[in-house]
Amino acid sequence: MGAKAEISDLALVRRVVEGDESALASLYDRYGGLVYSVALRILRDAQVAEELLQDIFYQLWRRASSFDPTRGSLAGWLLVIARNRAISLLRRSNPGITEELSELKVASPWNLESATAQNQLMGRVKAVLEKLPPPQRQALELAYFEGLTHTEIAQRTGDPLGTVKTRVRAALESLKKALNP
Amino acid sequence: MNGHQQFEADLDLYALGTLEGEERQALEAHLRTCADCTRKLEEARGQLALLALAAPPTAPPARAKERLLERIRKRPGDIPQPAREPAVRFDFWRWMAPVFALAALTLAILTTIVYRQNRELNHRLKGLQAAVQEEQARFKRAQAVLDVLTAPETVQVTLAASETHPVPQGKAFYHRDKGLLFYAANLPPLTREKIYQLWLIPTDGNPISAGIFQTDRNGNVEVVLPSLPSGVTAKAFAVTIEPAGGVPQPTGPKVLIGLVS
Repeated sequence: MGAKAEISDLALVRRVVEGDESALASLYDRYGGLVYSVALRILRDAQVAEELLQDIFYQLWRRASSFDPTRGSLAGWLLVIARNRAISLLRRSNPGITEELSELKVASPWNLESATAQNQLMGRVKAVLEKLPPPQRQALELAYFEGLTHTEIAQRTGDPLGTVKTRVRAALESLKKALNP
Repeated sequence: MNGHQQFEADLDLYALGTLEGEERQALEAHLRTCADCTRKLEEARGQLALLALAAPPTAPPARAKERLLERIRKRPGDIPQPAREPAVRFDFWRWMAPVFALAALTLAILTTIVYRQNRELNHRLKGLQAAVQEEQARFKRAQAVLDVLTAPETVQVTLAASETHPVPQGKAFYHRDKGLLFYAANLPPLTREKIYQLWLIPTDGNPISAGIFQTDRNGNVEVVLPSLPSGVTAKAFAVTIEPAGGVPQPTGPKVLIGLVS
């Protein structure tokens, strides 16, 4: 899947605002794979994942004008939205939430605009997770990919609540340390 | 760990969605007031977003892109929506012009005609205004305004400039029980430490403040139904320049003054 790295997200968003369909197609090419992958991982249902993918990019098409690049990362927003909505669908909770582009701000210093950059970061994230003590990794993945709360993780694993919290915090700390450029 | 540190430590958990119950509510309440934590939350979200990269990379079916593009093309009305500018400013003098003419007529007219005029004015209001909420507030005020304008006992006062500032003009409509309307134009803008203050000068007693105001960019001003004690007979109206925040009794130069004839 091509990700045309020559044109920045910002430039593409501007063109989307002007109604340039090919700019939206480019953004789809660039991030559609990531959005779909996380949606599919969470939902385990290709059809629903595909619908979610479309909805997200359609919303981007409609609301691109409220995206303020000085205050957030488009890639970040897409991934956060993808994960949040997938979890909502999975848990059938608050299905009506649609976080507006202008309301949910995601500050992300990482550049994901090229396939190379994406692959590199993918590798790094995987490496971090693999280095985590298995209980920490499990707690983090249950939280992230299944949307469980501390209490629910504790129920699932049979561990005390306090332990679960500590593990999740520790995992997030490790993630932060390893990924910060 | 002090309170704020605890909030900061919880931001990652909040972004992840694992924070629950009271802790979550407390953090949400805190976020509403803490810009620093809000910013840190945005960063926390950014980091967490990278976990999406841990999902096994899977390409979406090719038809997904086609469907997306079809959906965009199918509804040409759904063009990207431009961010809207704030609602247009209201040009008071233009709005007031027909009302001034109306006031002269309605004094001698029966209530049914007044009611119809009221509706027509409301129509015009609605046609002129951009924001719906402003509309509703102004609609209510307009009814009250018309009430003052049309009451037989309402006195109309023209204010003219005192010697120091030859250009400004003003008009006041005052009814002892229904209230005061005041409009002025060509008032020069003031520095931050100063403000205009409107005064009702009663036949008996000291001047009563009818409010402080600034002019809009065009030098126009309206003071509509400020709170005033009712039943006061006015001898005159005046506008002075006072220190910001206003004063209990006039101290500054009079910019506009008008006597009730």
